[in-house]
Amino acid sequence: MSTPPQHSHTHAPVFNFELLHSIVLSFADRLFEESNKIPVFKYIVQYIRKSHQDDPYRTMIELCLIIYGIIYFLAKPKKTRAHNANNLYLSNKETNLLIEEWEPEPLAVPISEDVDKSGAAWRLKSIPKIVKYYNSKPNYVDLQVNGAENTYTNVLNMSSFNFLQLNTHPEVMDAITETIKNYGVGSCGPAGFYGNEDVHYNLEYDLAKFFGTENAVLYGQDFCVAPSVLSTFAKRGDFIVADNQVSVSIQNALSLSRSTVYYYQHNDMDSLESLLIKINEDEKHEPIIHRKFIVTEAVFHNSGDLCPLDKIAELKEKYKFRLFLDETLSLGVLGAHGKGITEHFGFEKTGSVVDIVVGSMANVFGLSGGFVLGDDVMSYFQRIGSNAYCFSASLPPYGAKGCSAILDVLKRDNSTVLNLQKNSRKLHDLFFSTTSILNYFQITSSEYSPIVHLSLTPDFRYSKFGSTLEDIYAKLLKQQETCKQDIEIEEFNKEEFFLQSIANKVLERGNILIARNPHALKHESLPISPSLLVCCSSSMSDEEIVKSFNVIKEVIMEVV
Amino acid sequence: MSSTTYKNTKVPILSPLQVSANDAKELEFGTLTDNRYLLKTKSRNGKPLRQPISDAPHYYISVITYLNYLIIIILGHLHDFFETIFFPENFYNVTEHNGYAPWFTKFESFFPRRMKKRIDDCFSRPTSGVPGRFINCIDRISHNLNEYFSFPGTSTLCLNLSSYNYLGFAQSKGRCTEHALESVAEWGPGCLGPRNTCGTTSLHLKTEKLIADFVGKEDAIICSMGYGTNANFFNSILNKRCLVISDELNHTSIRTGVRLSGAAVRAFKHNDMEDLERLIREQIVQGQPKTHRAWQKILICVEGLFSMEGTMCNLPCLVALKKKYKCYLFIDEAHSIGAIGPVGRGVCDYFGVDPNDVDILMGTLTKSFGAAGGYIAGDKTLIDMLRLNLSFSNYAEPSPPPVLAQIYSSMSIIKGDLNPGEGEERLARIAFNSRYLRLGLQRLGFIVYGIADSPVIPLLLYVPSKMPEFSRLMLQRNIAVVVVAYPATPLIESRVRFCVSASLTKEDIDYLLRHIDEVGDMLFLKSSSGKMGGSLDGKPPRWDIEEVIRRTPEDCKDDKYFLI
Repeated sequence: MSTPPQHSHTHAPVFNFELLHSIVLSFADRLFEESNKIPVFKYIVQYIRKSHQDDPYRTMIELCLIIYGIIYFLAKPKKTRAHNANNLYLSNKETNLLIEEWEPEPLAVPISEDVDKSGAAWRLKSIPKIVKYYNSKPNYVDLQVNGAENTYTNVLNMSSFNFLQLNTHPEVMDAITETIKNYGVGSCGPAGFYGNEDVHYNLEYDLAKFFGTENAVLYGQDFCVAPSVLSTFAKRGDFIVADNQVSVSIQNALSLSRSTVYYYQHNDMDSLESLLIKINEDEKHEPIIHRKFIVTEAVFHNSGDLCPLDKIAELKEKYKFRLFLDETLSLGVLGAHGKGITEHFGFEKTGSVVDIVVGSMANVFGLSGGFVLGDDVMSYFQRIGSNAYCFSASLPPYGAKGCSAILDVLKRDNSTVLNLQKNSRKLHDLFFSTTSILNYFQITSSEYSPIVHLSLTPDFRYSKFGSTLEDIYAKLLKQQETCKQDIEIEEFNKEEFFLQSIANKVLERGNILIARNPHALKHESLPISPSLLVCCSSSMSDEEIVKSFNVIKEVIMEVV
Repeated sequence: MSSTTYKNTKVPILSPLQVSANDAKELEFGTLTDNRYLLKTKSRNGKPLRQPISDAPHYYISVITYLNYLIIIILGHLHDFFETIFFPENFYNVTEHNGYAPWFTKFESFFPRRMKKRIDDCFSRPTSGVPGRFINCIDRISHNLNEYFSFPGTSTLCLNLSSYNYLGFAQSKGRCTEHALESVAEWGPGCLGPRNTCGTTSLHLKTEKLIADFVGKEDAIICSMGYGTNANFFNSILNKRCLVISDELNHTSIRTGVRLSGAAVRAFKHNDMEDLERLIREQIVQGQPKTHRAWQKILICVEGLFSMEGTMCNLPCLVALKKKYKCYLFIDEAHSIGAIGPVGRGVCDYFGVDPNDVDILMGTLTKSFGAAGGYIAGDKTLIDMLRLNLSFSNYAEPSPPPVLAQIYSSMSIIKGDLNPGEGEERLARIAFNSRYLRLGLQRLGFIVYGIADSPVIPLLLYVPSKMPEFSRLMLQRNIAVVVVAYPATPLIESRVRFCVSASLTKEDIDYLLRHIDEVGDMLFLKSSSGKMGGSLDGKPPRWDIEEVIRRTPEDCKDDKYFLI
């Protein structure tokens, strides 16, 4: 089996199978001899020898296949991008020409001054700049609007979300300054890497105890909480049923979640129930149960009304859904002890009805940061999977300590909460009982919310601007779909300008700051309505509330 | 997995350490021991980085790493198998019950249950006090393989290589803290509402002006959370007809933000400028998928200093490409601002590139400035538009006054407006410390990623089981370190990350080097080939520790020992 290959040059250049055969065999022979030294190979070699004797051509074919396999394996993989099939093939010159021709749109379009069209310069100018804050009388501020010449001193602030003003309570202030003196300001690290200090863990414990859940998880900013926590649990294939008036934070959460999202009519329980039934019907055919969520807000950010928690709780139990509730504006506000909407509806503990509660330390507690309340298992997995928790520095220690101190105060003494509720009702009563305002404005908020949401009635809107909310929404969707650089809706802009002019007049006449509910049209994907916010706090006196109401009423009657 | 795992136990609040005022100050920020241990960084004057060289360990390390994962996974599944038979109640929380799907399914929770939980004692160690030069770690006792922890109420002072305290501004004494306390007295501890209703104070505008001035842009806007700055920024300037060309190692916050904006994303290989150019050319020509219409905008997104790699973006090349192809450039300076550059102004300063050549400079205020939050700096037109359109300025809370005061005073110190000379010293110290530790580790024979001046120094461990061991051994030696593995790094590149701080003294680093040397021998970590630095003759460097400590402090000032 060892014919030497030296005769090859004497043969004509015809393919000589015999010769090739012999070369391969001689090579194989040597290989076999070498490999004999390794024990296992002996058997493999014997097997190959035997099969070669029976059918020499088979060995050759198998060898070819092996070589082809190796070549195929080593060859550069062809591009497999999905859009590649659709690609254009151009010469170098054409490519360069195309590249030269391409002109991008500007990164940002300058803000235009023109109000009638849809200029937004007035918006920028109307943002008040607070120049002085009084710790001793937190309802009052000094501010400037549009430059130093328009300075207002001692303005009653009716646009602040710091309803309880417990952040300036002496005990809380002491806790905060003490913590800054011992911990510095920043925490300098994410929660998993030495960023969570004893004060953070303690606040988590205190929050859970106070609101009646098993556990709590802290975040650095309230706005980021909902998107991060919802997308941790609601994944592809899961189902979400959401109210169709939820805030931008939750809209972001829904779009990040990758789940199938259904919307029910705002606070309409029949609409909700029919969706729950439909989802459960659809799911019957599937082999596993999916995670299913009802997503809503306790006090709605956009309209100020409450969600009917009692009915939602019933439905959720009945159809085996979990409830995700944004309580950023209701914790500390609703319920006799400020434990939120669950206490308001008479449930014993937050954890018994709601599965995920999103709360804020920025609004009612007047500090910064957000948190999630829920059961132990959910919190455990949240600490592993939630992006805004894992990849972000934990909040400054003084804020954590300050919030614990606020909870201590609240536990002892709920008079601020009761006062706030009294003031909210008073303010709402004033608006609800004044038909002259109700002819032009509707109040969408609930009397339990400390924020009065004033928006134009549909009739008045139509007569004044010739527009309807449906129209505005249709335009908004269209502009978002066609990816316009700047979303410009003339009617919306005019209406907001009108509302701002009311706010400006109120400031001029009564030294009272009220605000337009800020909207960034680029991010709103659900129907919205421009509105004015009038907020009260627990320390406002009856006279202050009545006086400011009168100013607002006077101004409204003047401009309509 | 019984329910004790998840239980909410109360961590004790420790009373402040009982030490003299001077010692307390030293614990937060060590006094400079010798003027030789300072180094002034030089600007690169537009010189781009060299093509990166990567050092791969001997192949048997990769094999062991994969085997290690394999064994963990097989054992985990075996565990699961027997536990389902004998203790099915342990799976109550990860299986369907009562008609509800679990929060995480058995499959989704496999990684946390069978891998992460085993090493949970290395993460989320509670601390107390200032995360300065030393960090006070609260002792905890692990029970039943990290099933739960209990707290005996004691603590251990550890040398801090874990906090992002680059310039050492995490302090409870000094000008910054004084300003923070003053601001609480003047402005209250919190804010009133979102920026666009009544949350804008003159303190915000003053700080924004300073930031803009610091980074060399016309205007800037502050957000109260660093992650949130990125996560809620892109949807204000991009839409689905825009393209983001992103470095493959960009931070999650950028990915979240881009996903929210709906823009198309293409990734290029980490720091590979050729791949980037190829991708830009291809994308301009091909346009949007299906329609082939031209992209509205193309935004190149990179990080200034990559927090897991210690590498830097190749700014001069990026600027050249961006100009050539009319793209926009976004740089996330989360880790580089303050810590890098001759005057601490980040990557532009380091490379000597005009900040106006970069369209958007984003950064965080948590790290170098010891505060919290992030900023976006750009042209006035852009920032004005953002003030109205960003979701966080309309719906989220603004930065609270103490944080702003901390930012303002620390930035003024770096600039030299406040306590002249102090900022300069801090910058010179972090530059020296970073180079000293890096070159020291390289000479000892460790594989270390990143560029010479990066204060983030990742030391490669590869084998995942060495990760907890390293962390525990270091903790025994009173050193707090951060270990990271998949998914934050590629699967086989588990690593420990040292974050160098200006508050460390040269002697602290000596102490650190001696212990890493010992632990490195115990865990067989010295596997570098010298390709990435530490050796001039191409031989694998394995210096003696005393030799390293004797010669490196001078040598590390010389560029020739680094791949620059």
